[in-house]
Amino acid sequence: MNGRRGFGGRGKSGGKPIGKDGQRRPMFRRRKVCKFCADKIDDINYKDVRLLMPFVPERAKVLPRRISGTCAMHQRKLRTAIMRARQLALIPYTTE
Amino acid sequence: MSRTYELVYVVSPEANDDQVAELHTQVEAIVQRMDGRIEKTDNWGRRKLAYEIGRHKEGTYVLEVIVGGGDLMKEIDRRFKVTDHIIRHLIVRVDEEQGVVERTRTRRTDTSQRRRVARGLPPERQPGEGQRGESDDEREDRPETGRGEAR
Repeated sequence: MNGRRGFGGRGKSGGKPIGKDGQRRPMFRRRKVCKFCADKIDDINYKDVRLLMPFVPERAKVLPRRISGTCAMHQRKLRTAIMRARQLALIPYTTE
Repeated sequence: MSRTYELVYVVSPEANDDQVAELHTQVEAIVQRMDGRIEKTDNWGRRKLAYEIGRHKEGTYVLEVIVGGGDLMKEIDRRFKVTDHIIRHLIVRVDEEQGVVERTRTRRTDTSQRRRVARGLPPERQPGEGQRGESDDEREDRPETGRGEAR
């Protein structure tokens, strides 16, 4: 929704990224922020598929907190929302 | 004891609009009989299912917000389990959650207003002020480097 912070970054795992020209550069890790805290979304609703979809990557698993940066409380709410949406076939359980 | 429930049901794509409407009247009848009330009805129309249910690939989604007791929802649940046209349904109690959401929301506006007044600002945010509310997280404007590919 806002392009300010992606859910990229590899989390805390080390890793020495190598630049284009092969030399080592310090890795800039952007501080990850819980999307729901930042955008002040209080209600994580199972009906809002557009909101949930970014947290359900290709294999239709729930994106872990260490990658998305979601806080514990919102991850819990997100999980229930995803599970409910799955029951209604709004979100897949898995993909082949 | 009245509680608020959300009922979503998926009607098989073979059912026509009349049959969908009939299901709605059935729900209405049960709700009225067991003295509840329907607060809202919303037909989402036909949607593709995320996975196949039986042999169906799409379905008509209908949402109803119902105020009533638990036995009312139990009855609806029982009915829906045996209704052929309904391929999926979900009942969720929402009143408590809504209360929590409302409380956090009011608490947040209250604190932000109090803080703004303490700083000598008008309690409401002025248009064109700041980036996004009282954002206290520092921005990193550095170019993205060494970012591992997500997933």
